[in-house]
Amino acid sequence: MMALEKPDSDEQLAADVNAWLDANWDDARRCEKGADKLDVRSWLTKLLESGYAVPTWSPEWFGLGLGSKQGRIIDRILKARNVIGRSQDRYNLGAVTVYRLGSPELKQELLRDMLTGSFSCLLYSEPNAGSDLAGVRTKAEWQAGPDGGEYVITGQKVWTSNATEATYGMLLARSDWDVPKHSGITFFIFPMKQPGVEIRPINQITGESEFNEIFISEARVPARYIVGERNGGWKVLQTALAYERLIMGEGATERQGKEKGAEPPLIQLARKHGKLQDPVLRQKMAQAIAYRQLNALNMQRAKAEILANGSSSLMSLGKLAMSRIQHGEARVAADILGAASLLHGKDHPDSADMNFDSAKAYMNSIGGGSDQIQRNIISERVLGLPREFEVDRNMPFRDVKSG
Amino acid sequence: MSTISTEEQTAMCESFARLLAEKSGEAQVRDAMETELGYDAALWTSMADMGLLGVLVDPAHGGIGGGAVLLEALLEEAGKHLLCSPFISTSVIAANLVAASDDDCLKEEILGAICTGEMIFAVAATGDKGLWTTEDIDLRAETVGDDWVVDGSASFVLHAKGAHQFLLLAQTTDGLRALVADAEQDGMALDPMQANDPALRLSRLQCSGVNARLLTGVDEADIDSALNLARIAQAAEHAGGVKRIFDITIEYLQTRHQFGRQIGSYQSLKHMAADMLVEVESAASAARHAARAWDAGADDTQTLVSLAAFAGADAYRDVTAQAIQLHGGIAYTWEHPAHLFWRRARTGLWLFGSSDQHRETYLASLENA
Repeated sequence: MMALEKPDSDEQLAADVNAWLDANWDDARRCEKGADKLDVRSWLTKLLESGYAVPTWSPEWFGLGLGSKQGRIIDRILKARNVIGRSQDRYNLGAVTVYRLGSPELKQELLRDMLTGSFSCLLYSEPNAGSDLAGVRTKAEWQAGPDGGEYVITGQKVWTSNATEATYGMLLARSDWDVPKHSGITFFIFPMKQPGVEIRPINQITGESEFNEIFISEARVPARYIVGERNGGWKVLQTALAYERLIMGEGATERQGKEKGAEPPLIQLARKHGKLQDPVLRQKMAQAIAYRQLNALNMQRAKAEILANGSSSLMSLGKLAMSRIQHGEARVAADILGAASLLHGKDHPDSADMNFDSAKAYMNSIGGGSDQIQRNIISERVLGLPREFEVDRNMPFRDVKSG
Repeated sequence: MSTISTEEQTAMCESFARLLAEKSGEAQVRDAMETELGYDAALWTSMADMGLLGVLVDPAHGGIGGGAVLLEALLEEAGKHLLCSPFISTSVIAANLVAASDDDCLKEEILGAICTGEMIFAVAATGDKGLWTTEDIDLRAETVGDDWVVDGSASFVLHAKGAHQFLLLAQTTDGLRALVADAEQDGMALDPMQANDPALRLSRLQCSGVNARLLTGVDEADIDSALNLARIAQAAEHAGGVKRIFDITIEYLQTRHQFGRQIGSYQSLKHMAADMLVEVESAASAARHAARAWDAGADDTQTLVSLAAFAGADAYRDVTAQAIQLHGGIAYTWEHPAHLFWRRARTGLWLFGSSDQHRETYLASLENA
């Protein structure tokens, strides 16, 4: 692979990236159809070989060995020029997991494919393992064969987005039933395109369908596709989840930044419906808007702390705060609309939006760890309070009650 | 805006924190509460020696020329230690309004004495309703020849006992104006108002023919601005106080055992703690951003000051209330410090405007046109 020289300065780096893009990237072609249509895989291959797809990774694995600050410089340039496949060292969760935790053989076998368009979905949650993720019951049974053999997977996964597009699934499965629950889980890179994998979309309370259920029936995964150790999946998962939270947190602070200066939507809604002078509603609106602004101010402080110290415990408050913001704003919007909030459909767009938002708010307060789990995490990891006694912590998983 | 370096500011906050740890511990706060003045005069002198009383005063008048950011950082420390003092009335409101005047003689005379701790100000800035609004002010000032005379009444007057001067907000034919009046004069009748927070000294003031000096060049906008600075100062005290009582509570959750385990291992209590942390951090973020906006003269200064005022006051009220609940019986005793924070929090809910008023101002500031 082509290894670029390390640049002398940030300015030099930016100039190098822009020069390379001038020669290789045509933004106009992104939207072309027909013969001129951009071949995404060959573009991603070209980007990978430049080192700009994963600039902070080592040159041995497609990177340039740059620091995170320089990685961000490249990210900003690629983002500004609408480049497909930027910052996969942060956003490509499957590839990041394999790069950080996979064996050299696994990296050799999968990384190039994963970085050139074969993306991954998450196969973590199950109907009976949501907040209690270590209670997964999808079975992984080993079968002898060449190359370490393979595992036969049977079970059900849920809340998987992009399942139909994904080539790989980051799979958490039970490989040993006779040890306590955290000790019998293995983390696999699971090939999605095979018989025995059935994908069914979930119809959500918002009317959308962003997630799927995955029914897995005697599907196969090579033993060499294990990430980390056999039965060491819980540890791998913790690292993978940390990367995921990092991405979500960054997304949240970026989104917050865009809202500054604009008149808050609740004020606009109240004016439109002649309620802007209602003193009771004004108090409610002020409080709802304040919660959003306070969270934005907390996240600004978090960003400053991360720049100064590398981390910030404030970051962990954002998701919990967001639940109160989203549920609260939807409630105030309903109060502004009054009886009209009973109505729905395209003839009542404001009510329809409010109804949608009030349902969508659960995405934050349940998804990715419910508010109650989030409060446990904050009180344990930030405040140092003790864990609550867990009945099943040291019991063989076979004997754990489920349902 | 600030003429002193970030390092000097940090050092100043650290030495103030050390002074408070030594001189404003719980026992000393309880002692100060019992005194007639309501504060420790020796601590006031130490604060003067450190330059703190002139934090906002220009170096030309003996101050250190700091801005709202430094003021905020210092008052977070004060809040953590439940400092009892006439600091906000003297070094924030009076110092800011006198400095805004174009009367150089008056500035010369007053600002230097504020810095040295020799001049303590009472502030009369509201009427009986305690709304801290222009309409609520019942003092009237008028000229008699070349002199200004003030009549009427004011309530919730801060730190009147022991004050050398009064800063009076009064209605005039030109609108609301600020005046200073000697404490020692006939026509100034004080009636103490007993407060729920034993550290707080409030009075009702009756003026009949009180001689005062007008702060020339100070208009209603300057007065609004000085009260906003007081709100930032108070929000900072809230942010510091709420952090301290929260830390005390978390420590208790880790050490207290019931049913054979730390009570902090119960989810019902852990979840309260997590929610409280959101309030604690939000109070600090709001106070600090308001101070920064003030110093920068940012367009959204009013928005951020109002936000800091109600977010800080409400957080302090709610977290101190929860702190008592989480401690259980021990915090229901006078000997336990939780109620000191709880009382201080309830003070802050009303001084310089209520949370509901601040929410209204906040919303109005966000409306386009």
